[in-house]
Amino acid sequence: MTKIRSVAIYGKGGIGKSTTTSNLSAALADMGKRVIQIGCDPKSDSTNNLRGGRSIPTVLDAIRSGKPVELDDIVYEGFGGVLCIEAGGPEPGVGCAGRGIIAAIELLRQKKVFEEYKPDVVLYDVLGDVVCGGFSVPIREGVAEQVYTVTSADFMAIYAANNLFKGIQKYASSGGALFSGIIANSVTLPVQREIIDDFASRTGTTIAEYVPRSDTITRSELLGQTAIEYDPDSTQAEVYRSLARTLLKNEERYVPKPLEAAELKVWAESWSDRLLTKKNDARSGSGSREIASTST
Amino acid sequence: MVFATRDEADSALYEKRIDLSQATCPNREQRANGINIFYGKASDLIEKARSGCLQNHERGFAQSSGCSLNFYLSVRVGTIRDAATIFHAPVGCSSSALGYRELFRGVPVELGRPAEYDLHWMTTNLREKDVVYGAGDKLKKAIYEAQERYNPKAIFILTSCTTGIIGEDIEGAVADVQPHIDARLVPIHCEGVRSRIVQTGYDAFWHAVLKYLVKKPEKKQTDLVNVASMLSYTWQDRLEIQRLLGKIGLRANLIPEFATVEQFQQLSEAAVTAPLCPTYTDYLSRGLEQEYGVPYFLYPSPMGITNTDEWLRQIGKYTGKSDEVEALIEEEHRIWMPKMQAIRSEFDRIAAEKGSKVSVLGSLGQGRLLAQMPFFDELGLVSPAAMSQDYDNLILEELEEVVSRVGDFDLLVNTFQAAEQSHITTKLDPDLTLTCPFQGGAYKRIKGATRIHALRGDPHPWSAQSGYTGAVAYGNFLLQALKSRSFQKTLKEKTKDSYRDWWFKQSNPLYYMKRVV
Repeated sequence: MTKIRSVAIYGKGGIGKSTTTSNLSAALADMGKRVIQIGCDPKSDSTNNLRGGRSIPTVLDAIRSGKPVELDDIVYEGFGGVLCIEAGGPEPGVGCAGRGIIAAIELLRQKKVFEEYKPDVVLYDVLGDVVCGGFSVPIREGVAEQVYTVTSADFMAIYAANNLFKGIQKYASSGGALFSGIIANSVTLPVQREIIDDFASRTGTTIAEYVPRSDTITRSELLGQTAIEYDPDSTQAEVYRSLARTLLKNEERYVPKPLEAAELKVWAESWSDRLLTKKNDARSGSGSREIASTST
Repeated sequence: MVFATRDEADSALYEKRIDLSQATCPNREQRANGINIFYGKASDLIEKARSGCLQNHERGFAQSSGCSLNFYLSVRVGTIRDAATIFHAPVGCSSSALGYRELFRGVPVELGRPAEYDLHWMTTNLREKDVVYGAGDKLKKAIYEAQERYNPKAIFILTSCTTGIIGEDIEGAVADVQPHIDARLVPIHCEGVRSRIVQTGYDAFWHAVLKYLVKKPEKKQTDLVNVASMLSYTWQDRLEIQRLLGKIGLRANLIPEFATVEQFQQLSEAAVTAPLCPTYTDYLSRGLEQEYGVPYFLYPSPMGITNTDEWLRQIGKYTGKSDEVEALIEEEHRIWMPKMQAIRSEFDRIAAEKGSKVSVLGSLGQGRLLAQMPFFDELGLVSPAAMSQDYDNLILEELEEVVSRVGDFDLLVNTFQAAEQSHITTKLDPDLTLTCPFQGGAYKRIKGATRIHALRGDPHPWSAQSGYTGAVAYGNFLLQALKSRSFQKTLKEKTKDSYRDWWFKQSNPLYYMKRVV
């Protein structure tokens, strides 16, 4: 068995982790790879777009039922033969979702899911910021060998990415996962790209791919599909294929240098100042070239 | 900070108002700046506390510990006869309750322990699945089961670290089930993670009692005196309190150990709430006054002759029995003072022989610290240092008073750290050293050493400490412990030292303290 490439994808809630991860899975499957996608989010909708928009029973549902868990109960095939698993979680406001993720990952190990299916790539799509020990398991125990984060140029998304870097840094010396790159999402304006580039250079990280905002995604998701399935010839599909190729050959693994809370605030304020200058300049007719050339 | 009045200063030091609309009490740290690590002069502690600079620190190494659930509550709540207890916890959290059941069985029925002595003890036995999904349904099931099995008047629900961490909705489950069962449900939020100060468990218990159990007074019972905290003293103390109050036509409402649910319901009807251990009773006392106008006093505890006199006088004041109390004091003094005097003379004789007063190193809770230092003084003993399991600003004024009465002394604040106690015992080398259960007595001395009180439920007359018989019994006990050293001698010869020399060479007993900045 060749070595499994296991990758965790983190990012702020609503930033497009599941979209990115399921498109990646679809692109990799399209390239002939055997892929497992594991959604580590209690709302368990990570793999919906690989399954016509439909949810699958979760690992924690299976544990909860009290019956012996078989692989068939938790592994479902989606587009291109991608194997879909959802960790699931408790009802909102009850119990501990983080402990749920731990229990689900332990069950996958016990059930020898990876030995059984022999995947080339395993993708973990992990909820939001690193909120507690359960969600940090893919990093802490090095379950994933590479970590990517999806971020836009919004401050809160960058804040979440920075938090993730703190998580990686914390466990890096004790066998935790290392970082492999930022997936810059919803990048349409040059300034958005600039902001993310600047953040990457400040934190000593790299950009794995720039993903523009696209109608193709909106349309495909309405049908419960990925862009790869919905419109394989689209530009957007090609972006994800490019990201998939990067992911397969990317050997970069390093410890990011997260910004301290105060530093991050100063950094964000410097950008808001520049954006305001740009807006005022645009009003007074001096154009937006200045902002594009400003770099710190 | 400068305060205009003493009251203003006090209210800044601790929260007096009890808010029963809340699910539980604030913890002792929030309420009264509680700490559990300190060594130094009592005057220094007072100064730090007064100026608001007193700070708790971490222990880099701790030998043993107890949490508000297992050490303080399970022991007491389990003795309430017509109630059942549900530990909403992993099974291990409730195990200590079972051990205490055996200890209490050592109390003879003839001395008042109920003959029917079953423990109505249940646990939801939380496991990983319950942590992940929550265990509200399991709790509800356990409540119905408790109702069916025991038909109790009340069901106490004790929480644990586990339920605290996952944020179990205990109040929700209680609200759902209460309309369908007869027993009164009493959820107590005592999860260990809430507080470093185990006394938070007391407050959580009284909060629940005040909120769920105490009834509006139907009639005032002018002869009823609420007395809380029996078994941190001894069984004989219970009998002594009943004897003294009985002689002047008063009844003691002894809670919580071995009380009935009705006794809790009637707390609001009493004439006064009197302390045995003020630090244990303060939350209940304040709550009863605030909600039902039951007056209270917190000091002194009835330990030693002077304190007992004063304790009785306070009760006399609130029950209109001042004359009876004076007569009682006179009568009791006639009987007991000669015996006290004999003990004191013996201590004085020993002191004269060795050329200085006999010194006792006391190991105490913070309530006992206040009561015991003056008692030592009555016996003609000096105390080079005191030990207290924790300290909070609730006793600040009284500590100031004790220092002004007996002079300054060293004070070690620690919860169950035997090595720290052993360290200062070796350094200060008193003639007699007292240890608490769990506080550590596993070290050897040639000089006297004894326990301050045996494990709860010790019914032997020589274990009495409260009231007049207690003053004499305890005085005698200390005298015997000082004189009879054969046990220490044997221990010294036959056993190895608990700690290496290195430990005793350290200048600071708080060697393992990690300063929190």
